[in-house]
Formats: sequence, structure tokens, C-alpha cells
Amino acid sequence: MQSSSNNVVNCNELSESEKHYMEIAFTYAQDALRNQEVPVGCIFVYNNEIVAKGRNTVNETRNATRHAEMNCIDDVIAYCEDRNIVSKEVFENVSVYVTVEPCIMCAAALYNLKIKQILFGCRNDRFGGQTVFDVANVLNPVTDVKGGYRADEAMALLKEFYKGTNPSAPPNKVKIKNI
Amino acid sequence: MIPSKKRKLDSETDDYISDCIKAVLPDDLSKDTPLVEVYVDEVSDRRNISKAVVAINSAFPVQELLHLKRVRNGKLLLFPKSVCELSEVHQFLMKKGFDTSLLTNNVEVALVAKLPPKLKNQYEKVNKLWPCNFHSNKYLERLVTNNLFDENEMQLHKICMKIAIDVAQYAGNKYNSKNVGAIVFDPKLKSVVAIGYDCTNKNPCKHATMVAIDNVAVTQNGGAWDKREEVIVNGLNTSGLPKDFEFLKDKYAKTISFGCRLSDHTDNKCRVSEESSYLCTNYYAYVTHEPCVMCAMALVHSRISRVFFGVKSRIGGLCTLCKTQTIKDLNHHYEVFCGLLEQECINL
Repeated sequence: MQSSSNNVVNCNELSESEKHYMEIAFTYAQDALRNQEVPVGCIFVYNNEIVAKGRNTVNETRNATRHAEMNCIDDVIAYCEDRNIVSKEVFENVSVYVTVEPCIMCAAALYNLKIKQILFGCRNDRFGGQTVFDVANVLNPVTDVKGGYRADEAMALLKEFYKGTNPSAPPNKVKIKNI
Repeated sequence: MIPSKKRKLDSETDDYISDCIKAVLPDDLSKDTPLVEVYVDEVSDRRNISKAVVAINSAFPVQELLHLKRVRNGKLLLFPKSVCELSEVHQFLMKKGFDTSLLTNNVEVALVAKLPPKLKNQYEKVNKLWPCNFHSNKYLERLVTNNLFDENEMQLHKICMKIAIDVAQYAGNKYNSKNVGAIVFDPKLKSVVAIGYDCTNKNPCKHATMVAIDNVAVTQNGGAWDKREEVIVNGLNTSGLPKDFEFLKDKYAKTISFGCRLSDHTDNKCRVSEESSYLCTNYYAYVTHEPCVMCAMALVHSRISRVFFGVKSRIGGLCTLCKTQTIKDLNHHYEVFCGLLEQECINL
């Protein structure tokens, strides 16, 4: 585990609006769980406006890259197209609120977009862009990353999901659990 | 591997540029076996060597060094140096119930293989330091010497990369985007399942690889960016191939197919057939340029089995900045080969 202790957010450091945004992200994670998707929820906030909200849609799209963050990035593109504004400027002033630490892919995507800041809930022990492999070491991002807010709740949602089996896995790949 | 007749190096040498593809190796194959310091001591009476080996194995079995022989030239391997100070070695052995009178008490530090060597050349180096067990793996030896593919296989790899290059050129011209192309290929069927090209002028995440992955999803009744109806041609589902790219079929149909195996999607919730595809499992990706970290991890999530690319990239995540495919803690790893039609990819 790398850089796991130096960016843990203290609950008191968060403003009421940041806590509110995180609460909204959690509602999307819960929505994912209800739809048999890995429960990760995410919103993007730009100038105090929620410009993207989403959850994991991997099973629905049969595309393993459709994580909550990637869906939100597409939302921002659509938001900018509608308003005829340049997405680059928007991304660089976006705060990302996500219930689980972005994976290596999402971390790289968000760093490349020069996202202003990321606040996440629990660590991602399987794919985390800090925990499993620290993407910041190779991409030198400008993004400020903090995590640990409501981590237990975010983790409980994941555990709830992994108690069931992945509905999209082929029959020969489904693990048989020892009970 | 196979010399090209067309191109010569500009300077340096008259050698033909070989269309050599190189395996991008994980560190444990590309580097020497790591070493570790251990304490050794001489057995005072050579007739007691086997007795000493049995005694030390029961008093102090070293689980992490089981690949090493316990004795060499009358010297006994005791334990890693990290356990205690040199002056305390015998005291430590006594505490563990080892009869130290078997040794001369001339404790020395020796460098030995920390891990079992994986390749013959690694083995030869560490075996000189301290005798070591080794099981040769023919596949790995062929992989590291770039002798994995025969001539026919190389020919097929080149055709696949040529298609990726055609995709890059066509899309680059038509959509005024970067000349980067990707295809996903089913090596069992010898068929192009999906293609992808750079669309970053529309969406910064729409790298060719990401688009190709989403087009694979389209063949499985999914997809986030493009939705296309299932089109069945010659018994294969060609929905992973946008209509614009019909010309590829005419150009390459003699050698390979286009489309993926039909799968049971009639019942969306249950995949009955074991043959039906799941993400990019058992597929190869051919990409003109080294995929970035995002795309490299997208290929991990998608369970691709091999990735071939032409030219390295400044932002590459397979060998330039890091080797995403070799990160130990991830649940899936794939093989990577670079330098396939490199010059043609550089010229894009």
C-alpha cells in the first residue's frame, strides 16, 4: 500500500456542502446495488453545480470500463456540448465526489483531464489508483486527492454486492463459495 | 525475426530492419534474480554434513529460501542475515536447539538467490553463488528470446497490425483525428471482432483502445458509446465493426474473417453457452501506438489475453511509464509485444 496515510481526510475538514455532495454520490452507489452493479456512485461538481452524476454500468453495458467516473466524464462532455463551452476548462475546475477510490484506469483518466480535486470514500483494494498502483507516481497530476470519508459505509456496500455473484460472469467463471 | 526486404536503415548499418516483435517482459523475467544476504558456517567434520543438514532443517527451516540447497563445499546455509547480528548467530542457533558443535564458528555472510530463478540464464548466474533448484519453463524461454511465434503466426500478426494501421489512416482522414487505430481479434476464429479509432477531438477519453473495447461490448449486446444492430455475415456477428469500415472486409477477406462468434443473448440475464464471449477474454488487441495507462488498465478490466503494439508512446502504460499488465496485485495479467510493423506505425 502506498501513500495510504498521508491523504486521509478528517471529517471536520469537510464543509457541509462537500458532505452533501458525498451524500448524493452515495445515493448513486445504492442505486447501482439495486441494479446488480458494483456499488460505486460519483458526482462531478463545477462552480457549485452538479454537472455529472453516475454509477457503475459495467453489467448493463457489458463493458468493464464503464465505471461511475467514466460515465460522469461522458456527462460533462454532453453538458459542454449543450452549452457550447469548452470541456477542458470545465474539467480543470471540477471536484469529483466518489464513494470508492478511483481505479487505476479512472485515476489516469481524471489526472489526464487535470481534474481539480477528488474526494473518495473507501479505498479500492483490488484496483485502486493509489492503493494497488500509485498512478500519481507516473503521471505527476495536478489533482488533489483525499479519501476516507464514510469509508465504512462505502465498503459495506461493496461487501453487500460481493456477497452475491456477478450476474454477467460466464458459468465456468463463477466461483463456488465455501459456506 | 523475419527480415523485411523493403526497408533499410538509413545509416549505421546495412542490416535489414527486421520486423522483430519483442515481448515486454515483467521485471522478474527481464532482470537478474534478486539476491539476499545469508549467514553460512563451515561444518567442522565433513562426515557430519548430512547430520548437520538434517539438524539445521529441523531447527531452522527457511520457508522463503526452499529453492536453495542447504550445503555447499562443506558450508551450511544457516538463515537470512536480517534475523540477527553476526556475533549472535551461534547463540541464536543454540536457542533453536541446534548443536553448534557441528560447526567451526567461522560465520560468514554469503549472497544467494532471494527467489527461485525463472530462466536458464538467471539460474546460471545465481547457481554460481549458491546451488539452487531450477525447473526450466520452455514457454518462458521462447518468450524471452522472442521465439514464440513461427513464420505463419508472424504473418497473421502483421496482417492484424496492418488492419489497425488502415483503421488509423482512414479514420484520421475522415474524422480529422489522430492517426491511432486498434483492433480486437479472436485468434481461434482468426477474425476481427471489433475496431476502434481515436475520437479524442470529441471526447478526451475516446482513445482508439477504449473505442475498440466498447465495440466489443456492442457485439455482446452492450456498448455505451455506439449502438448497432446485430448484423450477421457468414455466420459471424459483425456489429463490432462500424459500417464505414466495410472496405476492410474486401481488402482482407481472403486471409481472415470479420465478426465474432454468435452467442446466446436471447435470454439477457443468463449466458447458457460456455462458448459465448465474456468481455475480451481470449482476444488479442493490436494497437498502432502503445496504449496509455488508462487504456492499459481498461484492457486489464476487459480481460484481454495479449496486446500487440507498433510504436512506443510518451504516455504509454505498457512499457514506457509503467508496465500496467504486470502489476502483481491485479486479478488479471496479459502479455505484451511491441515493435510490430513499428516503422509503418511511426509513419502514421
